[in-house]
Amino acid sequence: MLDIARAFNLTFASRGVRAQLSFFPDFQYVEKLSVAAAAGDLPAVFELDGPLVARFVERGLLSRLDDAFGAAELADFLPSVLAQGTVDASLYALGAFESAAVLYFDRRMFEQAGVTEPEATSGWDWATFVDACARLQRSGTQPLALHMGEAADEWFTYAFSPIVWSCGGALIDAKGSSVRGVLASPTNVRSLRAWQSLFHAGYARADEVEPDPFGKGRVAMDWNGHWMMRAHLAKKGPRLGVMPLPRAGPGHAAPCGSWCWAIHANGEPRRGAIEWLRWVTDPATGITPIVRANGAIPARRSAFAAFPEYARQPYALLRHQLESAARPRPLTPFYSTLTSRFAGALRDIAHGADVALRLAQAEAEVALVIARRQRSRR
Amino acid sequence: MTAWQRAYGKSAVWFLWPALSLLALFVVWPLARALYLSLHETDLLATRAGAFTGLSNYSDLLAEPRFRRAFANTALFALLVVPLQATLAFLLALWVTRPEPSSRILQGVFFLPTVVAVPVLAVLWSLIYQPANGSEMGALNTLMVGLGLAPRAWLHDPSLALPAIAAMSIWQGVGLQMMVFVAGIRGLPKDILEAAKIDGANAWQRTLFVTAPALKNSWIFVLSITTILAFRLFVQPYVMTHGGPGNTTLSIAQFIYELTFVGQDLGRACAAAFFLLAWVAFLALLQRRLLHEERA
Repeated sequence: MLDIARAFNLTFASRGVRAQLSFFPDFQYVEKLSVAAAAGDLPAVFELDGPLVARFVERGLLSRLDDAFGAAELADFLPSVLAQGTVDASLYALGAFESAAVLYFDRRMFEQAGVTEPEATSGWDWATFVDACARLQRSGTQPLALHMGEAADEWFTYAFSPIVWSCGGALIDAKGSSVRGVLASPTNVRSLRAWQSLFHAGYARADEVEPDPFGKGRVAMDWNGHWMMRAHLAKKGPRLGVMPLPRAGPGHAAPCGSWCWAIHANGEPRRGAIEWLRWVTDPATGITPIVRANGAIPARRSAFAAFPEYARQPYALLRHQLESAARPRPLTPFYSTLTSRFAGALRDIAHGADVALRLAQAEAEVALVIARRQRSRR
Repeated sequence: MTAWQRAYGKSAVWFLWPALSLLALFVVWPLARALYLSLHETDLLATRAGAFTGLSNYSDLLAEPRFRRAFANTALFALLVVPLQATLAFLLALWVTRPEPSSRILQGVFFLPTVVAVPVLAVLWSLIYQPANGSEMGALNTLMVGLGLAPRAWLHDPSLALPAIAAMSIWQGVGLQMMVFVAGIRGLPKDILEAAKIDGANAWQRTLFVTAPALKNSWIFVLSITTILAFRLFVQPYVMTHGGPGNTTLSIAQFIYELTFVGQDLGRACAAAFFLLAWVAFLALLQRRLLHEERA
């Protein structure tokens, strides 16, 4: 990032624009950002996680970016990147990279268990997935890692919302303003009961301590993000296979969304802030060096030229998913509460809680927060 | 009032003002600001935009099931921890003040958990409480199985999670309270114990009827501090259970933290913080009143 800023400052020195970066640890980044906003001390341009954009827009903290990029430039961005940064038809944030989650698998373990891998881009339906889990278990292999020990709430919403979505369910209504009858809907209860059955049957562990059981050869499948691709390839080589996440229903939805840049509504100078945003999301000056460093997925189609690995599997699946089935997490000002309560419900459901009751509790708690916020706005 | 007293009073002001201004800046002003915010509809992302709401933040809290649950959990935690930790600390203090050379080593051993960062201990105890996954399980369940008992999901069973956190917290904090009692025991006049011995009191009677009552101020200090710390419970449930299962380990401090940074409702978070402050102050005063602290 320092190199990117140095190059930016050299290029724009004659125009009187200078980028000065403030780094602070990732731990509790959102809390630090919120405190900065409370103190009226937000920087001119800052990074935030995609699902938080709607909340910052609600408080009038972000500047519209509609005039910052031309139509052709915007068309170069992956649709999921535009979707996560768009609130009420206006663009407020853009990222340099994207994310994806897939089901990694070990071909040798599949072979030993008599499991046939699917076509590269077509994942399994739930019955086929559960059958594969049963076969792997019978062959003496722990079938699946779901990383339930993850401390961050966001993992749960990010990784497991697609199960709900694939059945036609949702976490919040389309307007992002009500969870009543949505979060604890019969559809969600049904799909999460199917998810819970993975723990009941012993296919996945609700208390996994090991952070990378797949890499250690202890499980055959890993429900995980793109960030594990390099490590898994290094450990497994050609034994590594990838497929889309299994579908619990007729639909197919893949998780996406990542950190993105936004401009503070009162950030000065705005022109300089826009230049920085254009610089870090430019395929050559921003995306390529950032993606080389963090291993994420380029946010713009033209940037893939610098990453030939995306022309073939397993990387090709990540791009294919983002172009065809990616669905951002809910764009709602209540996202922080929603993800916190949904994650809490999933943790308990994995440990055997009644799905309907636990979702109803989460729904009631989120609804109370929404009602209070809406009342205070009036 | 004599001239000397008047002069003394005037100069005292000059000596006091540095301390008073620091106190005003770092204690009184933040508290006043928090009280002001608690009476307004205050959004964390727009703290200047709050509208005056009177006491509605406070009444909202009392009506909210999650807050009531957090309060009940924290009160139960305090009820479990305060008497057990104080009693255990007293017994350990009696043990480590014996004349044997090993006593000093034991003091260090019992005090050690209090100097280790609580998040580290919380992770460590999460591993100790690890439920059974096939043949893999935490140390506690291994011990249970060894004793012929069934392993338990300590942190995931709604009836066990809070007691499990309480047990960890007692272990973690008992060393500090023990040191308070150790200091108290060392300061006891030897003649009252010798007099009790001459009167025929056995060791148990001397402990119960002489040593324990003689340490009254130590008891008051330990009970007050333990109560305050118990109501500030945060790290253990935040790390070990995330407040679950089903809010059964959610503490008031965690509720306030979530209200501030997840719900970003700063007005109600400040109201909850004041509620906690008032409650703990009430308990501390009540304890002092009931136990009649003796002043030297």
